[in-house]
Amino acid sequence: MLRHWVLLAVPALALSAPPDFEGNIRPILAANCAQCHSAKLKTSGFSIETMESVIRGGNKYGQAVLAGDPAASPLVKVLKGQLTPRMPFGKTLAEADLAAIEDWIHTLKPAETAHLKGEPWLWPFRKPAPHQPPAIKDANWVSNPIDAFILARLEEKDLHPAPPASKRVLARRVYFDLIGMPPTPTEMDAFLSDTSPDAYPRLVDKLLADPRYGERWGRHWLDLVRYGETSGLEGDGAIGNAWRYRDWVVDAFNADMPYDEFVIKQLAGGDEHSKTRNNYQPDIQGNIPVAFLRLAPWDRSNLVADEVRQNYLAEVTSATGSVFLGLTLGCARCHDHKYDPIPTRDFYRMEAFFNAIKVQDVDVPYKDKAFAKYAGEKIKAYEEQLKSGPDKKALDALEKILLERLIQKRTEEARTRPANTQDLRLELRRKDQKLFTEAEVQKHADLLEDANRTLDLAEKQRLEAYESELLKRLAGASDNISRYKELTVEDLRAELARSTQKLFTPEDVERHRELTGRLDLLKRRIARLQPRTLSVVNVPGPPTGPGLPLTHVLIRGDYRQPGEAVQPGFLSAITGNSQPAVLETDRYRQFPTRGLRMTLARWIASPDNPLTARVMVNRIWQYHFGRGIVETASDFGKNGSRPTHPELLDWLALRFIEQGWSVKAVHRLILTSSTYRQASENPACQGNTADPDNHLLWRFLRQRLEAEQIRDSVLWVSGRLNLARGGPSVFPPLPADLADFARYGRTGGEMWEPNENEADNRRRSIYTFQRRSLPQPMMLAFDAPVFSESCERRSVTTTPLQALSMMNGDLVNEEAAHLAERVATEAGADPRARVARAFQLVLNRQPEADELAKFQSFSLVSVCRVLLNSNEFLYVD
Amino acid sequence: MTRRDFLTQSYLGLGGLALGHLMAAETVNPMLPKLQHLPAKAKRCIFLFLEGGVSQVDLFEYRPALQKFAGQQIPKPQGTVGEIATFSAAPNRLIPAPYKFSRHGQSGRWITELLPNLAEHVDDLAFVHGVKVDNNNHGPAVYHTLTGNMFPGSASVGAWVTYGLGSENQDLPGFIVLGDHRGAPIGGAGVWGNGFLPAAYQGTIFRPGDTPIVDLKPRPDMTPQRQRAELDLLRWFDQKHAAQRSDAGELEARIAAYELAFRMQIKAPELVNIQSESEATRKLYGLDDPVSEPFGRQCLLARRMVERGVRFVLALHGAGGDRWDDHGDIKGRLPKHCKEVDKPVAGLLQDLKARGLLEDTLVVWASEMGRTPFDNNLVTDKPGRDHNQYGLVVWMAGGDVKPGATFGQTDDFGLKSVDQPIPLRDVHATILRLLGLDQNRLTYLSAGRFKKLTDIGGRVITEMVA
Repeated sequence: MLRHWVLLAVPALALSAPPDFEGNIRPILAANCAQCHSAKLKTSGFSIETMESVIRGGNKYGQAVLAGDPAASPLVKVLKGQLTPRMPFGKTLAEADLAAIEDWIHTLKPAETAHLKGEPWLWPFRKPAPHQPPAIKDANWVSNPIDAFILARLEEKDLHPAPPASKRVLARRVYFDLIGMPPTPTEMDAFLSDTSPDAYPRLVDKLLADPRYGERWGRHWLDLVRYGETSGLEGDGAIGNAWRYRDWVVDAFNADMPYDEFVIKQLAGGDEHSKTRNNYQPDIQGNIPVAFLRLAPWDRSNLVADEVRQNYLAEVTSATGSVFLGLTLGCARCHDHKYDPIPTRDFYRMEAFFNAIKVQDVDVPYKDKAFAKYAGEKIKAYEEQLKSGPDKKALDALEKILLERLIQKRTEEARTRPANTQDLRLELRRKDQKLFTEAEVQKHADLLEDANRTLDLAEKQRLEAYESELLKRLAGASDNISRYKELTVEDLRAELARSTQKLFTPEDVERHRELTGRLDLLKRRIARLQPRTLSVVNVPGPPTGPGLPLTHVLIRGDYRQPGEAVQPGFLSAITGNSQPAVLETDRYRQFPTRGLRMTLARWIASPDNPLTARVMVNRIWQYHFGRGIVETASDFGKNGSRPTHPELLDWLALRFIEQGWSVKAVHRLILTSSTYRQASENPACQGNTADPDNHLLWRFLRQRLEAEQIRDSVLWVSGRLNLARGGPSVFPPLPADLADFARYGRTGGEMWEPNENEADNRRRSIYTFQRRSLPQPMMLAFDAPVFSESCERRSVTTTPLQALSMMNGDLVNEEAAHLAERVATEAGADPRARVARAFQLVLNRQPEADELAKFQSFSLVSVCRVLLNSNEFLYVD
Repeated sequence: MTRRDFLTQSYLGLGGLALGHLMAAETVNPMLPKLQHLPAKAKRCIFLFLEGGVSQVDLFEYRPALQKFAGQQIPKPQGTVGEIATFSAAPNRLIPAPYKFSRHGQSGRWITELLPNLAEHVDDLAFVHGVKVDNNNHGPAVYHTLTGNMFPGSASVGAWVTYGLGSENQDLPGFIVLGDHRGAPIGGAGVWGNGFLPAAYQGTIFRPGDTPIVDLKPRPDMTPQRQRAELDLLRWFDQKHAAQRSDAGELEARIAAYELAFRMQIKAPELVNIQSESEATRKLYGLDDPVSEPFGRQCLLARRMVERGVRFVLALHGAGGDRWDDHGDIKGRLPKHCKEVDKPVAGLLQDLKARGLLEDTLVVWASEMGRTPFDNNLVTDKPGRDHNQYGLVVWMAGGDVKPGATFGQTDDFGLKSVDQPIPLRDVHATILRLLGLDQNRLTYLSAGRFKKLTDIGGRVITEMVA
């Protein structure tokens, strides 16, 4: 404070001893900011490494220091809390330090910093440039051009790649990476003993051809597209056979569907015109992939239709931006994007492409004839059971008894009290009643319906007036008893559902609930097998329907505040203009609303789009290495990370397009690079300060298995994984003590179901039903996404709850027992051979002497349980 | 490196954690205690959530006009949109509060006769009236109240608080959810989820019974000796594995997590075993009455948790058909809801106070919405009230809460705020502030944005802060 005062009061004094960046300022920044803004972490793009980097500033506010003007400098503003987030995070900078920084800025001359102005963030909006792989010193290390790009950066920093991983480590890595589970001992032996030079590329090819590949990589895609199977909000009901989309994704990866086609189908399946055919009807199968536009949580209870519609359109626009373009388009919904050149107007011009969507499920016949037959037979069998199965018979019998009791009770009551409205309504329902004329019955029915439908006070009063009139006559009736015979099972069910009813015992109610529940389960199974799929169609438009409503820019994103009307158009940051897009039109002019989405899809999936290919190759890279070239894989904008290897990113993107958008070709390229085949330890570079976090890839990053990999692999090594593919989702058992809590009273149905076949409990995790409000506890503990928002990269946390689920949970304990049985069968009675076999199955290696000695003294089940819990099993080197 | 070493190192490294995807930092015990941004007395929070839409005009807002104009149409309210605008314009009739109100405490606050025990504590509470929620239906409104966003996928209040402050007890989860025994809330696990925050910050649901956490209890055939022996073998094996690897912080953390889990197996059942509580305490929470017993148990457990340094406890009341969603027969249903919570909540306040815990524990009472002053169910003869997103009442107590304070006022019918509606994010900002967290500094980079609980930022309701 004193120093500051002195400086303000006597600037000449300060000038006589100008503060020096290295001597005075850097120590302050190092002490307070280095945790996040070191050269290596460079959080938010800001580094305190050099005076230049401090002046240049970070992603958020650009140039941080304005020479001579401390008050206007973002650095000072952030330190004072005038800009957010206030820095240093979680503390306040000492006043003397702040004063020193202000002092330093005050003494800087504008001319000295003119060259440091932040550059505009344009690269994502410019097409990838062709780059030759750079020249490097150690050409021997280079297996393909990827390695040249990687090695060049390493050599710049005087770093060296790690030695190649051993064949054993490499095989384990690539199995987990491509198919999500480890090799069997036999597969490992075969690979280890194959000494031909192409043994590894052949292994890669074999795994890419394995159908388990699509299940593993399809799961990555499901993370991105916020895949879930229920609405997520009130009632959390099923949103309608989303599994058809899941199977489509798995098949697309397995078939190596070109990525441009993959994109187009998800945005515009069924939206295409024919250039040659009149009255062209697109392939109905195209209605499956467009479920991409339906997967988000859905607010079915909101009665304000315009709001629901606008939320829907905004959601698909944002999701399209982040999933395919790697842009946070959604930020521009309410205001111009704060960091990227995306005006709000562009958000609504993009949204306009979705304007013709009608949200509707569609019957899409099964392409697979065998499955169609299977589904048909199953449905028939379930319907039989619904009609006359044992549960139905039991329910009928129970309801018969309970109905008799209800009739008896009501009859008794009627003897002791005057007739009421309910009695009247019952009487009017009687076919053999003689009190009222047919016209009176009809009039009452109409009034009742009106009152119920409109909830209108006047209607209700009219009904009440008429009922009291009729009631007078009922009160005088001689027979006040026999009408109760008219009570039906519907009346009984209504009575059973009343929480305050006292007529039936809790056991009766429970029994009735259970039987009804079992029959409801059959209905849900039928629904899941019917070919109805989650989809969208287009509104018809003229001449049979109204024209499309105009899309307006919405002020602050509010559907009640429409601004300027806009035409469908692409992002101006990419096209360089704000012209309306040239739409794919129907030359026969029969389908005026068709082609909007196709126009957008073709633009996104075009080789000319600067983002699409880069974003996808970056995602593939991230799933292989644990981190993308752009670390923020769904945000290529200014607020995201800078690419660590921009030329490599461009080179990969162009290669991807050249090779027909083949995802498998990108896999082959990456997996056969020396970069991927490095060991995860690099003693020569250990402890280096140039790149301690391995952004430049001087070793392979060790990775923890994802939740699905853990569960699938546990089942796989125990020999019990059910590899059946596709079809309606299954319900692995919940932990027993959770099942009851999961019951949800209001919608009536259960949150979780038993599987029809026990073997379905052991399907791969991608086939588990994804109920948004009830994620599987173990999956959740291991960072599986909550499937409500697009998840571009899973977090990796370590918690005691994970340990509990692995120590005490059903999965590991049951499978440890099965694994022990398997080991006993395969290894015989020798305890040493048993431990060795368990190591081979779980870890793909022989135990070392000390391990053998220690493990041998434990029971075989204990050995298996410990191995399944081990870090060596959960972490891939 | 010993475990203590890496814990210390990670503690020092926590500054980085707050700024987003620093994976390495997150994997090393993310629950270690962290400093408050700003000085605040409250270190912990008990959030009582009453699901279904608590009727403000029957519990906390005495409105003689409802009596006076009973059966008449409400005058057209200004400034409402969505369903409430529709409901108010449609034929309706005002219904009087079926139960009496009287004034209590120094503050002379009006409280329903259905909450006689809570009424004794009104001078400790600060109320905010006329809070507006973003949506008029349960699903989105519950999400909005508990996660700051009406759609699923965001981090819950408890997740934000544990992310911001860590936890003081490493043998128990830092954020515990005490569910209603009758079932899950609308939205399920999402309403206490971590959303975009790391999974470590999700709430852990405690179920009734002596094994509150899923998979807490070893299998019946697993003796403690055998488990200890297995864990020792596992530790030896994992340490050998870690010793052969550089950059082993994450591997060490996972070794430590097994020890934490092992201790949790003992500590969590101890925590839920309320046999050790005196008869008087049990009575205080209403455990002697089957109607108030379930929520009384939740409130008593909440106290035992904050006593042990658990950072955030979310106690849920109401589920399925037994929520505060009284569309029909409000007169018949309110006494039961109220009786279920009155003694438990009053007992909690009294007990916290007696133990000196109210000083540093924030207690929050909230629902996802209020209810309409008029009838919504014209075809039954038992009047009930509809949803009202403009009428939420929240009260708080403890820490720096200004005792007896009131902020916001609804109109003569209790429909909506007489001034600008008070957005829910102001309530969230206030909760964070009372726990020493600055809403603008508690951020997490996700999908290209620094996300906040209060999204575009709320105003701390300083009128409720001492």
